[in-house]
Amino acid sequence: MALLQISEPGQSAAPHQHRASAGIDLGTTNSLVATVRSGEAVCLADEEGRNLLPSVVHFASSGILVGHQAAVLQSSDPLNSIASIKRLMGRGQEDVSQLDDVMPYEFVTRADSSVPRIHTRGGDFSAVEISAEILKLLAQRARQSINSELDGVVITVPAYFDDAQRQATRDAATLAGLNLFRLLNEPTAAAVAYGLDQSADGVIAVYDLGGGTFDISLLRLNKGVFEVLATGGDSSLGGDDMDHALGEWIIAEAGFSDVDTGLARRILLAARAAKEELTSAESTRITIDDRQHQWSATISRECFDELVQNLVAKTVTACRRALRDAGVNKSGIDEVVMVGGSTRVPLVQSMVAGYFERKPMCDLDPDKVVALGAAIQADILAGNNPDSGMLLLDVLPLSLGIETMGGLSEKIISRNTAIPVARAQEFTTFKDGQTAMSIHVVQGERELVSDCRSLARFELRGFPPMTAGAARIRVTYQVDADGLMSVTAEELTSGVAADIVVKPSYGLTDSEIESMLRASMDHAREDIELRMHKEQQVEARRVIEAIDAAMAQDGAALLTADESADIEKHRDSLESALETAAAEELKRLIRALEEASEFYVARRMDNSVKQALAGKQIDEVDV
Amino acid sequence: MQSPDLSQTYFELFGLKPIFAIDLDQLKVEQRRLQASYHPDRHVNESDRNKRLSVQVASWINQAYETLQDPVKRSRYLLEISGADFPDDSTTTSDTGFLMEQIELREAVEACRQDPDGLASSELIEARLWQREQELVSEFIARFEASDLDAAIGVSRKMQFIQRIQHQLAEIQFELEEA
Repeated sequence: MALLQISEPGQSAAPHQHRASAGIDLGTTNSLVATVRSGEAVCLADEEGRNLLPSVVHFASSGILVGHQAAVLQSSDPLNSIASIKRLMGRGQEDVSQLDDVMPYEFVTRADSSVPRIHTRGGDFSAVEISAEILKLLAQRARQSINSELDGVVITVPAYFDDAQRQATRDAATLAGLNLFRLLNEPTAAAVAYGLDQSADGVIAVYDLGGGTFDISLLRLNKGVFEVLATGGDSSLGGDDMDHALGEWIIAEAGFSDVDTGLARRILLAARAAKEELTSAESTRITIDDRQHQWSATISRECFDELVQNLVAKTVTACRRALRDAGVNKSGIDEVVMVGGSTRVPLVQSMVAGYFERKPMCDLDPDKVVALGAAIQADILAGNNPDSGMLLLDVLPLSLGIETMGGLSEKIISRNTAIPVARAQEFTTFKDGQTAMSIHVVQGERELVSDCRSLARFELRGFPPMTAGAARIRVTYQVDADGLMSVTAEELTSGVAADIVVKPSYGLTDSEIESMLRASMDHAREDIELRMHKEQQVEARRVIEAIDAAMAQDGAALLTADESADIEKHRDSLESALETAAAEELKRLIRALEEASEFYVARRMDNSVKQALAGKQIDEVDV
Repeated sequence: MQSPDLSQTYFELFGLKPIFAIDLDQLKVEQRRLQASYHPDRHVNESDRNKRLSVQVASWINQAYETLQDPVKRSRYLLEISGADFPDDSTTTSDTGFLMEQIELREAVEACRQDPDGLASSELIEARLWQREQELVSEFIARFEASDLDAAIGVSRKMQFIQRIQHQLAEIQFELEEA
């Protein structure tokens, strides 16, 4: 019997077809990608088993490197190795100048764009383009791991991200060629990873201490709706500061007086290793050993705790402030969720537990928890889990207003309004024959427009000319489920819809995104070349290793001195070209080495056959 | 996606009778049930048309929920769908007694800022405002049930005044707790 499945147009006709999805934690220091596999959220590692991808992008004249390879180049080539790009998402020129000390890069602005770009050897790039490179690599990792194209992704953003920052993240996803299901607040993702969406209603504190940033968010869960009550934190406080505190202790204890960049780097690495060691051990040994400096000492956890006590105390102060902002009592907190690698430090756990008077949740890997939550949400949005009742209803993080006379902001949609939401306003014309008007939308809680953040200017054009005051223009502000706003307008008496030109204050315009997309297609060719180059390097290393292993085993027995020298010569020229030569040249050198050693390979084969046959009767050999 | 009937009232949408004293728990449950089928998260894999539609419908449901959940907005909405001719916000009340009370309440609220025992005083005003709110709600229900819409409009406006002062007081209490 034939089974016919009838479904509404647009509704899923094949409920059993699995849709590939991934959750991406696009972090300031590190980024991760996760997916749901056989009902369980898992982080996806690279070929070398590493889950964390450093959020660093290196621009060389020959192409782009992302992650570990880019991070390695950070100290030798800082101006072309861009880190912490998340701090620049949705930011304008004046914000960039305030970040001078954390961002050493060379910024350029163009007359035709409000978005600052970083000048690198490979060209000028906006934060959106740089983030897109990180997203591309993570998506690639997911595709390889799932062995399928991605139907869609969920990307996490801090709860306090404004419209421009969210829009920039969305643009980065577009540029990376990803179908973005949804932007998800990081603290909400952490709560989802712990399954708190299924628990009883209450208030959840999410304590997120990363490498360089600290965020505290208070969420209220009310019948499946997560509402952000308050967020706080310190954008320049994290695990790196602990490394610095311990590093200074090492310098003082060892009495080093001539600390150059090289030694400082070694000390910081030793400090970080000791910090990690002390998360489980009661004490550990720190050794600094280079040509000029030899020093070694044991540090106890108590001593380390003393060094970082002030740093952790700062985070607790921020928690106190957030509770006050939310109007919530400490006893009103039902769960505390720990996020970020630095929450592994025992003192952090004990001070947070001490302040909130409850044991924080830390069963999941704090580095992965946000990505895992994003993967769960992505899986549900993909429709793989139709029985899941989970629905995350979000609220607008900051009020939206329009500029009125005297530079005041008139609130159109206030913060904490459930989204999606739409509001309509009616305007009239104040001049005869007026056919256009302009609306300036700002985001923020303050009265004065100058104290709020400018979002965009909307030019509404094409109204039929009428006498002053006769036109009735209805402007509709629509905020979607990601918290992003759009505007439509119509003249009611004539029914004419306005043409709207959006001038984002800090974002890329649609045409900029379009031209970037076109450019990225051109870049795709360069990227393929870069990948080929990498592949040839890997192949060259493999061939060299194989030759070295063979020569060590039986080179002396099977080769004359001249033959051996010839092979060595080809081997050495391949090795010396390894880092510098282009893909084609590497390919040629590999082939040359293979040709030069062909006879040797044949001899080894004969030899091993002889050895295998040695001592055996002819009739035992099955020819 | 099948859109709900957008011409129905917010009360009909949530399966409630068009009265002031609605069951707020039922409102919440219904809101959740409706969003579970219309929220954009439930339509991510569908056509662009359906996605747009779901944003609009979900916005409408949120708007409806917000309106019914707030007593002042609910009273105004109830009057609007009953055909009452609601005057503009700029129209002033002619009830001089109520005006005097407003001025007096506002001054009392502002005085809390300078009051060394401001928090305690503010709690007394809070209780008084709550009392006034309850009285106005009862009066609104009575007027509305008697179909005296003009009188009900007046009461709804008074409820709005009280709500504004309540917000103002909450802000001052917050400042006092901060200090």
